[in-house]
Amino acid sequence: MDPFSAEGELINIHNAFHQGQYPAVLDFDPSALSPENQLPARVLQLRAQIALGQAAAVLADLAGADEGHPDLAAVKALAQHAAGDGAAAATLAQDLAENFPDHASVQVLAGTVLQAQGRSEEALALLAKHQGNLEAVALIVQIHLHQNRSDLALKEVQAAKRWAQDSLLVNLAESWVGLRVGGDKYQAAFYVYEELASAPSTAAPLSIVGQAVAELHLGRLPEAEAALSAALAKYPDEAEVIANAIVLNVLAGKSAEELELRLQQTHPSHPLLSKIQEKSELFDAAAAKYAPRVAA
Amino acid sequence: MQSSPNMLTKFESKSSRAKGIAFHPKRPWILVSLHSSTIQLWDYRMGTLIDRFEEHDGPVRGIDFHPTQPMFVSGGDDYKIKVWNYQTRRCMFTLNGHLDYVRTVFFHHELPWILSASDDQTIRIWNWQNRSLICTMTGHNHYVMCAQFHPTEDLIASASLDQSVRIWDISGLRKKHSAPTTISFEDQMARANPGQADMFGNTDAVVKFVLEGHDRGVNWVSFHPTLPLIVSAGDDRLIKLWRMSDTKAWEVDTCRGHFQNASACLFHPHQDLILSVGEDKTIRCWDLNKRTSVQSFKRDMDRFWVIAAHPEINLFAAGHDTGVMVFKLERERPASAVYQNQLFYITKEKHVKSYDFGKNVESPPMLSLRKLGSPWVPPRTLSYNPAERAILVTSPTDGGVYELIHLPRDATGAVEPTDVKRGQGTSAVFVARNRFAVFSQGNQQVDIKDLSNATTKSIKPPVGTTDIYFGGTSCLLFITPTSVVLFDIQQKKQLAELAVSGVKYVVWSNDGLYAALLSKHNVTIVTKTLEQVSSLHETIRIKSAAWDDAGVLLYSTLNHVKYSLLNGDNGIIRTLDQTVYLVKVKGRSVYCLDRSAKPRVLDIDPTEYRFKLALVKRNYDEMLQIIKTSSLVGQSIISYLQKKGYPEIALQFVQDPQTRFELALECGNVDVAIEMARELDRPNLWTRLGAEALAHGNHQTVEMAYQKQRNFDKLSFLYLSTGDQEKLSRMAKIAEHRGDFTSRFQNAIYRGDVEDRIQMFKEVDLYPLAYLTAKSHGLTEEAESILEACGLTEDQITLSTIEEPLRVPQPIVPTFKANWPVKAAAHSSFEKALLGEVGEVDDEVAAIEFEPEEEGEVAAARDTFEDEEEDVAGWDMGDEINVEEDAEFVDVEGAEAGAGGSEADLWARNSPLAADHVAAGSFETAMQLLNRQVGAVNFAPLKPRFLEIYKGSKTYLPASAGLPPLVNYVRRTVEETDSRKVLPVIPRDLETIANVDLQEGYAAMRANKLEDGVKIFKGILHSILLNTVSSEAEVEQAKKIIATAREYILAMSIELERRSLSTDTPEGLKRSLELSAYFTIPKLEVAHRQLALMAAMKFAFANKNYSSALSFANRMLANGGSPKLLEQARKIKLQSERSPQDKIDIEFDQFAEFDICAASYTPIYGGSPSVSDPFTGAKYHEQYKGTVCRISEVTEIGAPASGLRLFVPSQY
Repeated sequence: MDPFSAEGELINIHNAFHQGQYPAVLDFDPSALSPENQLPARVLQLRAQIALGQAAAVLADLAGADEGHPDLAAVKALAQHAAGDGAAAATLAQDLAENFPDHASVQVLAGTVLQAQGRSEEALALLAKHQGNLEAVALIVQIHLHQNRSDLALKEVQAAKRWAQDSLLVNLAESWVGLRVGGDKYQAAFYVYEELASAPSTAAPLSIVGQAVAELHLGRLPEAEAALSAALAKYPDEAEVIANAIVLNVLAGKSAEELELRLQQTHPSHPLLSKIQEKSELFDAAAAKYAPRVAA
Repeated sequence: MQSSPNMLTKFESKSSRAKGIAFHPKRPWILVSLHSSTIQLWDYRMGTLIDRFEEHDGPVRGIDFHPTQPMFVSGGDDYKIKVWNYQTRRCMFTLNGHLDYVRTVFFHHELPWILSASDDQTIRIWNWQNRSLICTMTGHNHYVMCAQFHPTEDLIASASLDQSVRIWDISGLRKKHSAPTTISFEDQMARANPGQADMFGNTDAVVKFVLEGHDRGVNWVSFHPTLPLIVSAGDDRLIKLWRMSDTKAWEVDTCRGHFQNASACLFHPHQDLILSVGEDKTIRCWDLNKRTSVQSFKRDMDRFWVIAAHPEINLFAAGHDTGVMVFKLERERPASAVYQNQLFYITKEKHVKSYDFGKNVESPPMLSLRKLGSPWVPPRTLSYNPAERAILVTSPTDGGVYELIHLPRDATGAVEPTDVKRGQGTSAVFVARNRFAVFSQGNQQVDIKDLSNATTKSIKPPVGTTDIYFGGTSCLLFITPTSVVLFDIQQKKQLAELAVSGVKYVVWSNDGLYAALLSKHNVTIVTKTLEQVSSLHETIRIKSAAWDDAGVLLYSTLNHVKYSLLNGDNGIIRTLDQTVYLVKVKGRSVYCLDRSAKPRVLDIDPTEYRFKLALVKRNYDEMLQIIKTSSLVGQSIISYLQKKGYPEIALQFVQDPQTRFELALECGNVDVAIEMARELDRPNLWTRLGAEALAHGNHQTVEMAYQKQRNFDKLSFLYLSTGDQEKLSRMAKIAEHRGDFTSRFQNAIYRGDVEDRIQMFKEVDLYPLAYLTAKSHGLTEEAESILEACGLTEDQITLSTIEEPLRVPQPIVPTFKANWPVKAAAHSSFEKALLGEVGEVDDEVAAIEFEPEEEGEVAAARDTFEDEEEDVAGWDMGDEINVEEDAEFVDVEGAEAGAGGSEADLWARNSPLAADHVAAGSFETAMQLLNRQVGAVNFAPLKPRFLEIYKGSKTYLPASAGLPPLVNYVRRTVEETDSRKVLPVIPRDLETIANVDLQEGYAAMRANKLEDGVKIFKGILHSILLNTVSSEAEVEQAKKIIATAREYILAMSIELERRSLSTDTPEGLKRSLELSAYFTIPKLEVAHRQLALMAAMKFAFANKNYSSALSFANRMLANGGSPKLLEQARKIKLQSERSPQDKIDIEFDQFAEFDICAASYTPIYGGSPSVSDPFTGAKYHEQYKGTVCRISEVTEIGAPASGLRLFVPSQY
């Protein structure tokens, strides 16, 4: 039986991870699980730790671990990447991809590392080998979306829906695609995130941001503002909360400087900031081409 | 024999054997005639016995209400027929004639007739008006068990133990007894001897048909209400259906099933059903068309004897060995669900319809659920899923079934649904977007299913669970007979449990924070975490509930709509004439479904509960609003306020002085109390006021109260204690005047006035006391004179030792001079609000004063705008250069292998508007466009706007952990999915600019913050330069805003220039005067132009440029406006007119038309060469051509330009 399926032992920890409830993942007590599920649970917990920015701790934790163990090695690659050691992570990931291409954790984690390094094609090639691994599906969808191939992403989701219609991950992936496709799909994505955000047991920055983003796309600014300001109060340092709050303020014609400053301080490398920086330079370069015929 | 799930017992009574039953046609009453000789009158709704009638001797078998009159008829084994008035509770008269038991009695529906059937083998018709027998029908040769009138025609059906059913034609009888026409002699003869059978064959009532088919005696017969059908029940255990035409009658079919004598039978008044009862202790229900058993109900012990149907509503009653039961065959509550502004419900025809609360229209049928469950069983519940536009319907048939059906997008008619998922279950509700829960009571299990109807999870509910309800996202409420349990499906754990018994329905508030648990007689309001908030009890049944948006619960009972606040305060909103099921409350309308499943709107007056809600929330403004706008509010509100401890608020409502007095005392408002006491002037009021005022230390009021009561003693004491000597002596005078010696004595003591005391004693001949007083106070002379008057000497008197006389205490503080500092009567914030209102009114008045001026401004502004349009006529802004469009398209490189183009690229491809290119991040092309359209060359000031648009174009969606967020593109075309039509959202739309930014600019002008103003208006220009609009009309509006901004920037810049100049030098002064004159030229709003004119006028006047000052004054007067300004203008005009000359000659021709060069701030007279800015339209002297526009700071003056584009018709 798939340990992540609805009746499996790992469903709760698995869902918590993908709902972005990382502290809840860490609080999980793996000792109650049956032995064969201990390792996947540990992998999830380590990944949650990395997601919480504790890559160094994970690396320390894994220092003594068995190098040959593909699960932990894959986690290590991810931790290295998160800790900023891109080269080592890439090497390890590539290594794992060659040696254990059929291993689920390797697919997902090495795939993540490769994609994060911009090697999308390699990541896709690795992930394509998955067999019924929903995480891999979600990752593939995300990579396709990143490449602006929403058609391929949609195909992937629809294929997955056939065999795992109700999995949280498939739902999320469908919402990702929906927010790209638009139209009716905005509303559908909104429902998914709203459902997650409104239930106390599943609420997390991820779901609230998802809901707010859907509201933004639906043009419902006041609702988006309600969601985001609640999220800001609860998770003041969450990058995506701040970033989307900036977008919201701009759209509502309000000042976003304070939020931009906060984002600058907490997540200086956020794509919003880097893009703005890039565009600012572009603007200056482009503007320089023009001048009045007569200087004032 | 299965007992039916649908038979709903509404009322049961315990008594001896019930032989006859009659429903009252209007009121919730039934008459039951008993084997014990009693007739009972029950209110089956309240379950109370209203009356008993006991005059018959022996069993009473026949009973019937009159359809309109307050009377009923009964027939018994004492051979008697009695007619009763239930108002006077008396038997009015008795009809004697039958010679054996009377089996049934019935009133005719219109004629004053009673029909009786008797064991004496006759059927008789009686006229109850003249109390006579008018017809006796013979022919049956055994007991006649039942005889009934046809509901419309002149027919009678009778059933007899002679195994036959007979149909009688009584048209002859009617003819004879109807209004006289020409009457033959024989008729007259016949009339003279009513009731006597004609020897030669009775033509009044003739047998039309004899129906033979029963093998044993027939106990009952009934006509169909509309069809020519007859149904009979017999001791052969059969129910037979007969049909008749004008000429013949025949047996149609037999319903077999009773295994003992069938006692009675009837047709369902509205549905194609036959109901029958029998001595086999069953009630059976048959399909009229198929003659098959639909359902049956069995009692354990009691044989059934009789059944009756309510003539109008869906109710039946059956009499058995130990009483009667009132029941209905099916639930009448229509299954429904509300989502936002829509109601989904199932009609009696089992069609799914929706109802729009906004438009108040019913949709055509969307689906037909004909195949759901069994044909006679309506669906029980409906649950709606907006995300999937699906409904989940349950039916109680076969132990419960559910169906999951997708609604069609458009309602096109009652089509059979396709793709239906179904299964077994008692209840089924959606619990999440893609999950529903199915509860099966039989095996006590809840299955969580996905939309493909596959079970994903199973839950064991608490023991004895009877129903489930939605419990908030991914939660369920389990209903057990004694409690409600909140259960989290995902964590599979119980979150809370509340002991509340008999819950039948759960209604969630609109915000999902509260739920109302409805049981038969109780409403319990709980939070979403199942904590009890309040609870209330009703004596009659609670039917339904719906929440107001403000969080007030409205619920309906059998006959009222009521409300309950969260704190449990409740009251009646209106009465109901029929039972309804509330579904939504919106403002003054309550939406509900009636028993025929038709949506109805009830008007309500929400004032009372809104007021109470405002009170609870201390929302005094709202209360004030309610008090002001709605008719007040009656005694109940006042007593409510008083009870809740708000007498001071109640005081605001009351007119009645007595009540006002009471309330004033209660809240210690002595002033009001005095006022009211004066008005009423009753002694007991003054007493109470005095006591209250005394408690307050308000002795002046106390004094007044005592004075009013002529309570002299108390007054004196009050004066003593307040130290008011003067008044005390006045009191003494008054006492003397009244001849009240005790009082006088008292006053004298209070005042320490010995002489007066002695005088008084003397006057009342108490010389010893007078002497003693005089003596003790050392008034020897006086003492002597008293002795003398008495003719006594000092020796004759023995005196006890006299002590030092008591000294009157002197008050230390002159308290009487003023009241003690009294605590000001408490002003609640409500009262403050009331008082504040006075201030508001003043403001309003003031506002009204200003209004005309504003109107003038608006009108003038309109004028300026119209002028503007003419101005821009020379400026080909609106030109559509289609050829250019292609040129403006940006080539986007074809998608690389693997990766596709982002949506941003599409935007640039889809739109020729600069703003869209900016949003796409394609700054170069945007600049190209702007350069071509409006000659933009200096882009630096636009940078914030560029980045703003770009920032607002994308959202960041966190996806897989460890990867950067997914970037999505925010569209203004929310509905669009065609990639060739999607377009980006542009922040600061025209509406925002007009309503926010422009007003800020005006405010800066008013506040004289010109630097800020210039900045704001330039911002407006930049916002419009990069923007999109959605219609030609908006294009025009945008042009007007550009023009307005231009004029303001120009005006403000001129004034700023002037302020920077020194006026010390003559040149400086001259230039200043000129600039102040030019300041009046730009087309500002009139109010603002008045400011400019005012400044210019004063400045000119001060510098003795009277001619200019005069012209400004004239212009001001022409503009009109605020009287203060005009007054000044008039003054200056008067003064200037004395010598209308300018001391300093300036370059300002007040009579010529001219523009102001926005660079040099000098006039450009008509005809002289000028250039204009392609974007703003600002005018410049020719030498500025090619420089950057001073107004926009972006565009090049005189550059070739195609005109700004903000709108592409094909995009919309």
